[in-house]
Amino acid sequence: MIKKNVILNFVGFTLIIEGIFMLLGIPFSWYYNDNDIWVLLFTGVGTSIFGLVLYLTTRSKDKDLGKREGYIIVSISWIVMSLFGAIPFYIHGSIPSYTDAFFETMSGFTTTGASILNDIEALPHGLLFWRSITQWIGGMGMIVLSLAILPILGIGGMQLFVAEVPGPTKDKLHPRVRETAMRLWGIYALFTLAETLLLVIGGMTLFDAICHSFTTMATGGFSTKQASVSYFQSPFIHYVIIFFMFVAGTNFALLYHMLHGKFNNIKKNEEFKFYTTVVVFWSLVVAGTLYMSNYGGLETSFRDSLFQVVSIVTTTGFVTADYEVWGTFLVFIFFLLLFSGSSAGSTGGGIKIVRHLLLLKNSVLELRRLIHPRAVIPVRYNGHSVSQDIISNVLAFFLFYMFIFIVGSIIMSLLGLDFLSAIGSVATSLGNVGPAIGSVGPTDNFSHIHDLGKWVLSLLMLMGRLELFTILVIFSPAFWKS
Amino acid sequence: MNIIIAGAGEVGYHLAKQLSNENHDIILLDIDAPSLERVDSVMDVMTINGSSTSLKVLKKAKVEKTDLVIAVTSSESTNISTVILAKKLGAKKTVARVQNAEYISDENKTIFENLGIDYLIYPEELAAQELVRLIKRAAATDILDFQDGKLSLLGLKLEANLPIIRKSIQQIAQESDHVTFRIAAIHRGMRTLIPKGNDLLLPNDQIFVITTPEGIEEILKVLGKDQTKLDNIMFLGGGKIGRIAAKMLEREFNVKLVDANKDKSFELADYLEKTLIIHGDGRDLDLLAQEGIVDMDGFIAVTNDAETNIITCLMAKHLGVTKTIALVDNVDYLPFTQTIGLDSLINKKLIAANNISKFVRKGNVVSIATLQGIDAEVLEYVAQPNSRITKKQVKDLKFPQNAIIGGYIRDGEGRITVGDTQFKENDKVVVFSLPGIINDVEKYFE
Repeated sequence: MIKKNVILNFVGFTLIIEGIFMLLGIPFSWYYNDNDIWVLLFTGVGTSIFGLVLYLTTRSKDKDLGKREGYIIVSISWIVMSLFGAIPFYIHGSIPSYTDAFFETMSGFTTTGASILNDIEALPHGLLFWRSITQWIGGMGMIVLSLAILPILGIGGMQLFVAEVPGPTKDKLHPRVRETAMRLWGIYALFTLAETLLLVIGGMTLFDAICHSFTTMATGGFSTKQASVSYFQSPFIHYVIIFFMFVAGTNFALLYHMLHGKFNNIKKNEEFKFYTTVVVFWSLVVAGTLYMSNYGGLETSFRDSLFQVVSIVTTTGFVTADYEVWGTFLVFIFFLLLFSGSSAGSTGGGIKIVRHLLLLKNSVLELRRLIHPRAVIPVRYNGHSVSQDIISNVLAFFLFYMFIFIVGSIIMSLLGLDFLSAIGSVATSLGNVGPAIGSVGPTDNFSHIHDLGKWVLSLLMLMGRLELFTILVIFSPAFWKS
Repeated sequence: MNIIIAGAGEVGYHLAKQLSNENHDIILLDIDAPSLERVDSVMDVMTINGSSTSLKVLKKAKVEKTDLVIAVTSSESTNISTVILAKKLGAKKTVARVQNAEYISDENKTIFENLGIDYLIYPEELAAQELVRLIKRAAATDILDFQDGKLSLLGLKLEANLPIIRKSIQQIAQESDHVTFRIAAIHRGMRTLIPKGNDLLLPNDQIFVITTPEGIEEILKVLGKDQTKLDNIMFLGGGKIGRIAAKMLEREFNVKLVDANKDKSFELADYLEKTLIIHGDGRDLDLLAQEGIVDMDGFIAVTNDAETNIITCLMAKHLGVTKTIALVDNVDYLPFTQTIGLDSLINKKLIAANNISKFVRKGNVVSIATLQGIDAEVLEYVAQPNSRITKKQVKDLKFPQNAIIGGYIRDGEGRITVGDTQFKENDKVVVFSLPGIINDVEKYFE
């Protein structure tokens, strides 16, 4: 029996917090004399009150969560948050279609960064701030935040944590989930603050600096400018953002250990090494190709390559240059990088480096297993053997990912997109990246896509953010059988 | 000496037997009455049925008057509790057997000293170390190191076609210009003898040679056994000894390990990074063939079953494996092993006993060892000031006939004894002695 009250209670709590976050943009609206103060005030207070009513009316003594409740809570919270989060854009009228507003909000919460806006600068500052903060919330996860804030949750907090935090294995930083969640948000906030300071030093306005820090650390990619980061012509800003995108794509447990001076963990972490190798290798390939095709100076080639590669691999999706004009070879590379994903336990999306690493190792070892049929040859990761359960989980994830990618692409092409745009839009949504190829490239937007297509892509973004299983499991017959 | 031994298992049983034969007063504790009955029927010791962690039992065993408490039950925590209690109750020295490499590491030493534990022994690790030595010096059947290898005792098997067969000890000594080794004993048939200058070496003899590090090469050259280098090694059995030894060897050699237990195989695959773990029954010849036993240079059988180990080693030998080593914990089998054609064996009990029995000797004994399957002991003494050994040159000492002074370590350097060697105080002297005359030998060092 699924405990409806526990679920609604938790959803109510997330809505209270969401409403409070909506209000945070008001000071900027007031400072810039924008016309969205009342909209934010109304929806913010409204959302919080709605959440509070839901929270109070569904309180029950039985707060223990099972696996089923965990999956449902996470899925429903994300959907409900996006439904409410879209309201300010819709009421204010800057995004007249609710479908578009929902797409934009879902793209925010899932840290995808795909936008339907044709003129971002036309949005009032309060709404721009809300748009950025949706990514910041979604990056570390509203559920993880709730776990950190919510005073008493019965047994089962770990179920929620597992359902929201990406990666095949989860590191707990503290014996208690709540403490772990607080530490993760603490690091997250700390790095966001550091980036904001550096960007202000680099010459951004405080507003732009905060918004970009939010969306960098969340590996989101929403910018306050239509031209994305290329609007800022300062190499310093570019390098700062590259650095923080890279950090945000790192496992936060590693960052936590690093902040505590345990550098050994980083040295020993195979995922981090592979992640760095992937980024450096492809940046050099792209930079070399660009430099040889007389793209610009050595530094420009290097910086633009590094920026785009880090942006796509970490699934951020900021843009300082349009890779679609860099030739077929590089476009193809960038398309493939949409499938890379960042590290497990980071704020990034996608398949994740660790899964690629495990699959790669497992496949190579399969050759050895053929020669020694009786040998026990486990995949080793970070010096320990990985259980077969995890390997089959990763294999299932990969197959589901590819299957969903194919089905999604078919649907998008049915809805009238050309081949490149269809596969690009699906890959970028599922991977929570943002820019893709074809008509949804770095300098394009998603406004021209069929309404139904926007709902499909929204669903794909959510599936990608919650790493497929959380959503898929709800649709499985086993889930509903007691 | 009054000694309490807790645990009448393999190691305890053997220790009790050995120490009782050396005229020590042994009280053996065990919770299992049938094991104690078995002990009572074969040796002259006192047995007390009860837990060694019980204060009542310890007091009954007169722990306050005991010189040495040795806890060697199969449970590590029992052993540790036993010796801590025994020390508090007044035992002079304590030794506990553990099963955890962490406990014997140098960094954790003081923790146990503070608890009142004088010495921890980890027989499986010691056995694994011996295995590793035997693999690294593949030509030797036995190896004992003194002072970290400053002097070594090597056991070597003589095949009929070797150049030194039918030469006398004297001849061999004359053929090399400087003395770096000394043949200390010959094991012929079932007998061990201390050779004189005119004794001849015969085919199938097993000789024991005391040598300096440089002498190892020398003796192998003289014997025509240039250092046999092994590359591929197969282990049978992934128990404690197998896994520790494989871990020590896997970086240097190409190691395969066969274990019959599936869950344990996974565990092993986690612990051993470079070793290839095969899940299967080691007695299955097809499996061994599939995993290329004919290409193996070393085969080490360390399952819990001595018979399996012996049979599979013989099988491996038959298939042409250069070096086979079997774990044989049944002491009764030891004398036959050379005759049936096994290269080397290791015995956990002997190794543990060798390590513990140095506490039983008088203060001037540094180490003492029993060799597998032969009736002899190797002792390392410190020459005391004004002891008889320092008074005259070796040839005038009138040292007992059935013992031989192989070599000595002076100022950290191993040297071989010759006729006009004159010992000084603090020399560490390695003596090879047949049983029954140890008391005579000891008189020279007091």
